[in-house]
Amino acid sequence: MTEPPNLLIVDDSTAIRKILLRVLSQTGLSLGQVLEAGDGREALKLMEGHEISLVLTDINMPNMDGLELLRALRSSPKWSTVPVVMITTEGGQAKVQEAVGLGATSYVRKPFSADLLRDKLASLLSK
Amino acid sequence: MTTTLAGSATPILNEELANMLFAATQEVFTSMLGSDVQRLPRSDAEAANTFDGVLALVGLAGAVIGNGAVVCSAATACDLSSRLLMTELSSVDEQVLDSVGEICNMIIGSFKNLLEAVTGELKMSIPTVVYGKNIATRNAKAEVAIAVRCGSPGGEFELTVRLAKSGAREHEVRFI
Repeated sequence: MTEPPNLLIVDDSTAIRKILLRVLSQTGLSLGQVLEAGDGREALKLMEGHEISLVLTDINMPNMDGLELLRALRSSPKWSTVPVVMITTEGGQAKVQEAVGLGATSYVRKPFSADLLRDKLASLLSK
Repeated sequence: MTTTLAGSATPILNEELANMLFAATQEVFTSMLGSDVQRLPRSDAEAANTFDGVLALVGLAGAVIGNGAVVCSAATACDLSSRLLMTELSSVDEQVLDSVGEICNMIIGSFKNLLEAVTGELKMSIPTVVYGKNIATRNAKAEVAIAVRCGSPGGEFELTVRLAKSGAREHEVRFI
């Protein structure tokens, strides 16, 4: 029997982390631990001790931003294939292309529709 | 006052910038707060020198520099935060300050995405939130100042954007 997936939410806003937790709880999927980090540096530390199946990350954060986190994950043999969803106010084409070029799995612009995000996450976690 | 790209045939009026700001606000309210928002009439005479309540502010930098802000009373801050988090919040605490900061971040972020069609890529700071009494704000370098007053079921609030041209050369912006 496969273990339920562990997830990591990375955002400096506790409000957004709470909203994402709520959306995840509405997917109806069996989830393992849902870990939270306030920036990319904290996220990398948490990932060292856990098997993470999906990362949801903001871009604009202090200390280490979401694009730096994505770059670090993609350059690590251990984390190079873990799906990473960028959830950010940054909607400019240049930023989207940069994230996709670095290997982002999906890109969601804030503000988002909770229903659409729930369906997207359910689809990613069902694969 | 109008704002134009140097060499651009299409100047952007302050009213268009205000419309962009309100459109960004509507998007955030509809998507994230599940609430209506109305644009209220405002005159310069209404602008207070100081206020009591919550101020959330996000910096912008690129071809233009400046900031965007959300200003509201403590009661409105609690209502907006309660709607965002779907939790009853009755006093200004860390959750409320963080929530108002994120609401400001999303509104100014959406506004920035619209403005980038004119200015090219802009960068945003992370939000700063202030809660207190007799708060006064000042931006001595601003060449354009826009204020939009809004009404929501939880109370009124004000959005402001203050911008000045920067030294960035890729997209030179001229304020007339």
